[in-house]
Amino acid sequence: MWKICGISKAEPVLFAHYVDDDYQPTWRLWGEERVDGAVYTESDDEISHLEWETVRVRFVKAGTVERLVEALATDDGELESTYVNVSFAECNRVLDLLLRRYEALAAEDVLPTAVLQKLAIFRAERNGMSGGGGGGGGGGGVCLAPGMRLSAHHTSSYRLPHVPHRHFAEQLTRMDMELFKKLVPHQCLGAVWSRRDKDRSHDAATVLATVNQFNAVSFRVISTVLVEPNLRPLERADILASWLDIARELRVLKNFSSLKAIISGLQSNSVYRLRKTWALLPKEKAELFDELARIFSEDNNRWAQRELLMREGTAKFADTVGENDRQLQKLLHERGSPGVSHGTIPYLGTFLTDLTMIDTAIPDTVADGLINFDKRRKEFEVLAQIKLLQGAANAYHLACDPMFDRWFDSVIVLDDREAHTLSCQIEPSTNPPKERRPKKVNDNNGHGHRKNDSIASTSSSNSSQFYCETDGTATGWKRDSLERRTSPTRLSHGSSSSSLPSLDVSLSSANSGQKPNGKAGGASPAHAAARTGPDFYIIRVTFESDTVETEGVVLYKSIMLSNNERTPQVIRNAMLKLNLDGDPDAYTLAQVLPDRGRNVASSECKCILRSEHCVQSELHPAAAPAGAGPEPVANGKPRGKRS
Amino acid sequence: MREYKIVVLGSGGVGKSALTVQFVQGIFVEKYDPTIEDSYRKQVEVDGQQCMLEILDTAGTEQFTAMRDLYMKNGQGFVLVYSITAQSTFNDLQDLREQILRVKDKDDVPMVLVGNKCDLEAERVVGKEQGHNLSHQFKSCAFMETSAKAKINVNDVFYDLVRQINKKTPGEVRKVKKVRTCVML
Repeated sequence: MWKICGISKAEPVLFAHYVDDDYQPTWRLWGEERVDGAVYTESDDEISHLEWETVRVRFVKAGTVERLVEALATDDGELESTYVNVSFAECNRVLDLLLRRYEALAAEDVLPTAVLQKLAIFRAERNGMSGGGGGGGGGGGVCLAPGMRLSAHHTSSYRLPHVPHRHFAEQLTRMDMELFKKLVPHQCLGAVWSRRDKDRSHDAATVLATVNQFNAVSFRVISTVLVEPNLRPLERADILASWLDIARELRVLKNFSSLKAIISGLQSNSVYRLRKTWALLPKEKAELFDELARIFSEDNNRWAQRELLMREGTAKFADTVGENDRQLQKLLHERGSPGVSHGTIPYLGTFLTDLTMIDTAIPDTVADGLINFDKRRKEFEVLAQIKLLQGAANAYHLACDPMFDRWFDSVIVLDDREAHTLSCQIEPSTNPPKERRPKKVNDNNGHGHRKNDSIASTSSSNSSQFYCETDGTATGWKRDSLERRTSPTRLSHGSSSSSLPSLDVSLSSANSGQKPNGKAGGASPAHAAARTGPDFYIIRVTFESDTVETEGVVLYKSIMLSNNERTPQVIRNAMLKLNLDGDPDAYTLAQVLPDRGRNVASSECKCILRSEHCVQSELHPAAAPAGAGPEPVANGKPRGKRS
Repeated sequence: MREYKIVVLGSGGVGKSALTVQFVQGIFVEKYDPTIEDSYRKQVEVDGQQCMLEILDTAGTEQFTAMRDLYMKNGQGFVLVYSITAQSTFNDLQDLREQILRVKDKDDVPMVLVGNKCDLEAERVVGKEQGHNLSHQFKSCAFMETSAKAKINVNDVFYDLVRQINKKTPGEVRKVKKVRTCVML
């Protein structure tokens, strides 16, 4: 029971095989060191371009629980990534020890603030975790992954749908208010905001911050609805209802930014398409949704919200409802005059569009090169409105609840495709899935795919950055800096409550250019296999090349894999992700198993993956090739990822 | 009169707003007011038929990513705009199209691919051929290079979309303005 499985730190000896004229081996095994309660493997790591520096690398080989935990939590606050998904002791015991370790480090004052904050979260959440069993973990072991270790969605004190709605609305408003008050109005000008580019993005930083917050709220709506695939429809409907209750409170608070963000989240395709779930929403909630959504109707140039903002922008409290808005009428009637006055937080997008349009439609100068002051005046009208509302926002008096912030940061964020996939798992599409994903455009100058490569160093300062990058063209408006904002506490999809188990797969190339293992044949008979588990997996693919240069640095890419995909396609996808050119036939795909063994996937078979958790999975090879298979993978550990 | 909801999408800085303004206003005007009800509505005659076009321009809100689905849900036809002077704006469109198809749950949605700023030939980085190729890949998607500034092809973009919509959904011709979008399922 107390055993370490899956630890497979790079085996230094292996690399010595690949010495050639150009490269010196970068690893040298020194031997083992025994200290009280632990055995360490020692080696040095000469970084090739830093000849003068030798880094001694020490890997724990065996140890008592205490020692393992000590090694687990390095003093820079990083989590030793080789421990990821390692089961070696009971959850509580490890957490206890980990906590003590961090506290000791905290006492020595060597931990960065971020880690201390996490420590605080950890303390707060521990009780919840020991009681609740931690959700999808199963078994008595503990699974920790970098990036998710100290806060997890399901261990938070807040958990939808059972949250105080009013309080949530107030906290969202507090977040919005802080950003809105900091907003520099002239950054909204078309000439600044709409002409921002990478070099000038700081020119519109305060605008971007509010946009990011808006998106963050929407993403939280989407993810809380989707992330637990096994909820009963009624339970999921409760989450929808809960967000609607929060939205209703936001309406009372006149926070149109988060209100719209929630409505947008609910109207995002992956949530909106869940017909069965929506059908279970109580009638009055459905009406409420209608009424709130009507506020943001795009009809007639967003007349409804413009009108509402005009009426209530500087009013003391919300008092405007349409004659058809039964639920909102009821609400305002119940509440009566709130006694305290509220500020207003507008949805900024409307202003941004207006200012962009003004900037486009009206020339800067008139004939004779005179400055077109009419234009400036028009712009000023909009800016003045923003300023007025900023002043009104001072009327909010909302206390900060750090626990809410932690909850907010702990919610996993799904990108559009992930959300869609989860949504389809919850309620399969009525249309059979079609080939809708045309091949990626390869732009001529090939900037496309290089952007977000994560590099995980296998040296002792494991930083293990992971993420799920779903495509190469991550420029422009895709994943914006919101991602950066939320990333420190972002969870790993693979090991959180999400239903997407992770698999580690490594893509290998026979360096000599030999063509291993059967060509991609034509259509092959599909293996009939009982499908257990989800239809999709996120697998992490690493590229194993025989050359020494990539040692110590492993590139991982996450790709989504369905049960129906065939190996050649998976290889092609993986190559695309890893930015590899060449013939897909020259590569093989092997799944890394927990015992460091590997299954090489034949190119003709369907990938049938059976997996509860991270690594127990199977590829069904038609014929396991002998000899041509690549060398054992040293980095075959499943890893967490930050997306 | 049939009403057409057209959504203009594309990365920031590609000149979406200029296309819209050029189409709706015809000229760059001094008395322009973006806040009034019908600033983005235009009545045109296409193939002998009067049409009311309502343009939803996402200019300025490109980065409100969570709202794109809603735009897409409400739109009947889509103008996907890139700038011929910026490769990244071209690359972004693939994802946008995918998202549209997903939201619409259809394989074929009325769409025009537009390479804007074709007056800036000297700064061109996206070849016309690339645009053509992408539109072929998109299946039944028209492609045009435009210049809002030099008034090249602007109206054609919108007319083409109207024709595509007519072709794909000929039944709805007599629908009048009162189309309330049904928000609940």
